[in-house]
Amino acid sequence: MQKEFDVIIIGGGATGAGVARDCALRGIRALLLERFDIATGATGRNHGLLHSGARYAVNDHESAEECIRENMILRRIASHCVEETGGLFISLPEDGLDFQAKFITACRAAGIAAEAIDPKQALRMEPSVNPALIGAVTVPDGSVDPFRLTAANVLDAKLHGAEVLTYQEVSELIMEQGRVVGVRALDRKSGEMREYRARITVNAGGIWGHNIAKKAGVTVNMLPAKGALLIFGHRVNNVVINRCRKPADADILVPGDTISLIGTTSSKVPFDEVDDMYVTADEVDLLLREGMKLAPSLEHTRILRAYAGVRPLVASDDDPSGRSVSRGIVVLDHATRDGVEGFITITGGKLMTYRLMGEWTTDLICKKLGVEAKCTTAERPLPGSRKEERERTEKKIHALPTLQRESSLHRHGDMAERVEATTAAKRSIVCECEEVSVGEVEYAINALEVNNLVDLRRRTRVGMGTCQGELCACRAAGLMAEMGRYCTSRAKQDLAAFINERWKGMAPVAWGDTLRESEFTKWLYGGVCGLTTKKEEE
Amino acid sequence: MRYDSVIIGGGLSGLVCGLRLAKAGKRCVIISAGQSALHFSSGSFDLLGALPSGESVGSPAERVAQLIEQEPSHPYAKIGAEAFVETAEAAKQTLVDAGVRVSGDAAQNHYRLTPMGTLKATWLTLDGYVRSATEEGLEWKNVVVMNAEGFLDFYTQFIVDELRKKGTTCRVCSFSLAALDAIRNNPTEMRSANIARIFDGEECIAQLSEIISREAGDSDAVLLPAFLGINRYDVLDELKRRTGRECAVIATLPPSVPGIRTQIALRRAFERAGGVYMLGDTVAGYDEKDGRIERVYTVNHGDIGFSADEFVLATGSFFSRGLEATREAVIEPLFGVDVEQAASRGEWFERDLFAKQPFESFGVATDGEFRALRGGKPLQNLYVCGAGLSGYNPLTEGCGAGVSMLSAVRVSDNILKR
Repeated sequence: MQKEFDVIIIGGGATGAGVARDCALRGIRALLLERFDIATGATGRNHGLLHSGARYAVNDHESAEECIRENMILRRIASHCVEETGGLFISLPEDGLDFQAKFITACRAAGIAAEAIDPKQALRMEPSVNPALIGAVTVPDGSVDPFRLTAANVLDAKLHGAEVLTYQEVSELIMEQGRVVGVRALDRKSGEMREYRARITVNAGGIWGHNIAKKAGVTVNMLPAKGALLIFGHRVNNVVINRCRKPADADILVPGDTISLIGTTSSKVPFDEVDDMYVTADEVDLLLREGMKLAPSLEHTRILRAYAGVRPLVASDDDPSGRSVSRGIVVLDHATRDGVEGFITITGGKLMTYRLMGEWTTDLICKKLGVEAKCTTAERPLPGSRKEERERTEKKIHALPTLQRESSLHRHGDMAERVEATTAAKRSIVCECEEVSVGEVEYAINALEVNNLVDLRRRTRVGMGTCQGELCACRAAGLMAEMGRYCTSRAKQDLAAFINERWKGMAPVAWGDTLRESEFTKWLYGGVCGLTTKKEEE
Repeated sequence: MRYDSVIIGGGLSGLVCGLRLAKAGKRCVIISAGQSALHFSSGSFDLLGALPSGESVGSPAERVAQLIEQEPSHPYAKIGAEAFVETAEAAKQTLVDAGVRVSGDAAQNHYRLTPMGTLKATWLTLDGYVRSATEEGLEWKNVVVMNAEGFLDFYTQFIVDELRKKGTTCRVCSFSLAALDAIRNNPTEMRSANIARIFDGEECIAQLSEIISREAGDSDAVLLPAFLGINRYDVLDELKRRTGRECAVIATLPPSVPGIRTQIALRRAFERAGGVYMLGDTVAGYDEKDGRIERVYTVNHGDIGFSADEFVLATGSFFSRGLEATREAVIEPLFGVDVEQAASRGEWFERDLFAKQPFESFGVATDGEFRALRGGKPLQNLYVCGAGLSGYNPLTEGCGAGVSMLSAVRVSDNILKR
């Protein structure tokens, strides 16, 4: 029998996951459908910056206020996804100091603690910062792991009764008498079409939401804006570094886990390219040129990869030309807007405000369903961030080798105890760069919805270190096949696809050591192993 | 320091060249920075597996003329179709004389078993490795594929499933040995070279023999990962002798134990022939006069130069730092000689890594004698051999080891003729 749902949420990014969690916590039966893996769209392709809001303070007071509020909330509810690094807004000689005064005033007006400090003090705080700086302001920026954050929301949604299905691509909205009553989706794993019904359907598809809205015959005017970023091979800085000027290209350098990120560029792209973003040589050069102004050592730092996400910029309803775009949260009730009942679009916003977007959307859902429950997502810690559980977990896994213990806790928070580590075989290392054990890989495969090596990478960081999956990819493919995830010929195809996915990010920055690494990878897999992307003849 | 020849680079190509020169009575030094591509060898040496058109090659000897016609820039074009077989034979003989036991023939490729279980055309294969005369399948009809528990750099099921498709009955056996627990408890140590050190011990060989005898059943052969024998050559022979079974190995993920052994054998043979092998040193500068290199300077020897009549550049491609890619261009970092390459970085790559990548055919430009060009003109006494050469694709054409060895033979011949 078909399970009954109150709400279907389309899109497994941070926003969709946030809506699902909020619904679940309020007792609404939610189903989340994602066409690939969770966090594969813009959610997984940004800076991972825990914005203080300072960047928006001068131009967009409302966004700045939202940001700092959510910033403080995430530090509490998602502590295992957040690193409280602090941030600097630096002024370089070419920027002058005029902007700084205006900036500090605007920050304070939005409730952001902004403090001008002596440039020398800034250099002591963050030795990698450009020593030519003439001014610096501290702000409560930090870094956040977007995948971990999304995964924790999904996990909590499921713990409270929501159903989350990945690799389900919505192909059609089911319309009855002018209302949306469900969806038809292609199960990408089996190739079958499935039908799901609910009173309300939420479009949380990010840039892909543009086309989802069309399926209901309504128009949401979105503009795809490509943003390219570079990942450096080690942690260049420990404090987020921004430029104290009007927001521009490549002016934020964020530390995250073992790496640092510079971004972004911003360029309009056509809709038919949003599924396959390649970073160009020119974009790489621009990012590097600007990044070096924040931290000169970037010139000599190895770049691991380049990648790009697509922001869903939403044109105001009253401006069909699309010139006036908003980065604010946009909740569209298509019943009042377009006369289509049972359909809501949630878009705009930012990773930082995913929770608030979930709250507003769920408030609207509640109104429609007549549910009284209030939002509690700002108070209840996410799985992985529950303080008592974490302390207990730390004690439980105390016997693990230090690096493994720390890595595992870092990635899974209080769920780390579920990683099997009782035997030497389970503690064997799959990925040396990121200290991922056999036990952790098995935990991810069994409990975290892993369908392929790229899914596994998102959950464990397998293949994300400096070697970009040289040996670990093959080991992990073996484990996946061993555990019956797929047959060996699919495992080999998956391995080749994984290596190519890594290559996609490496090719734009393949000079120096990155090209050396790529040549080695090719020798190993193309040569020694004889792996190809050619279809096997059966 | 004064030598007849200075060879920069101590991998397969530099060693083959150095061995031939030293045996001919030349005073030679090899300056080697460290590891070479032999450390991740497949256990086989390819000569020619496919033409640039994509057509696969059964007999390199018969098809080399076509290769040269399709790709006139190929290093084999400088060797020439007539001298090709003879040069290949000389290269093979150099390995055999150094005690590297290989077999194979330029007249007919055979097939090696990859870690993915597929069969791939090749020229020479180290003794002990699984090989087959045809692409259709193994000669053995019933095998046991064994692996040590917890060794993740070798996945038996990849091999077993492919072999079954080709009509071989397969069984998997996972074994554990007390001696391996010591390294297994330190999880990063479960790598082929470390395991091989353990299997060098008599007691472990005895225990493994017992396991093989117990598990082999009615199989024709027992197949193991190539993690046997790093400081001794007879481990596989010992296993065969004690069990009375056919035993053979399959390549693992790196490091390649038989590759390391080959490197050591070649180096020892070079030293026996009177050559000097300087490990862990890097060339840092040189003197040049009238288009001739007079001497090179290294990091370890400071201002004490190495003078010689001839210099050989065998520094490899990108991985070994024989070529260096900057954001703007690919350069040869030691002598700044000409590098054949695409005009801009956007043209270096294909989106499918497994496709023919333009960067793979970048390399040092040479004249017909394999002398390096600078500004289009040859340097009088700077020869180039090995992976740093331009104009070919080692992987799609299946000719990487062949180019390394044959160019080394030709360069040594050219030097001896002078």
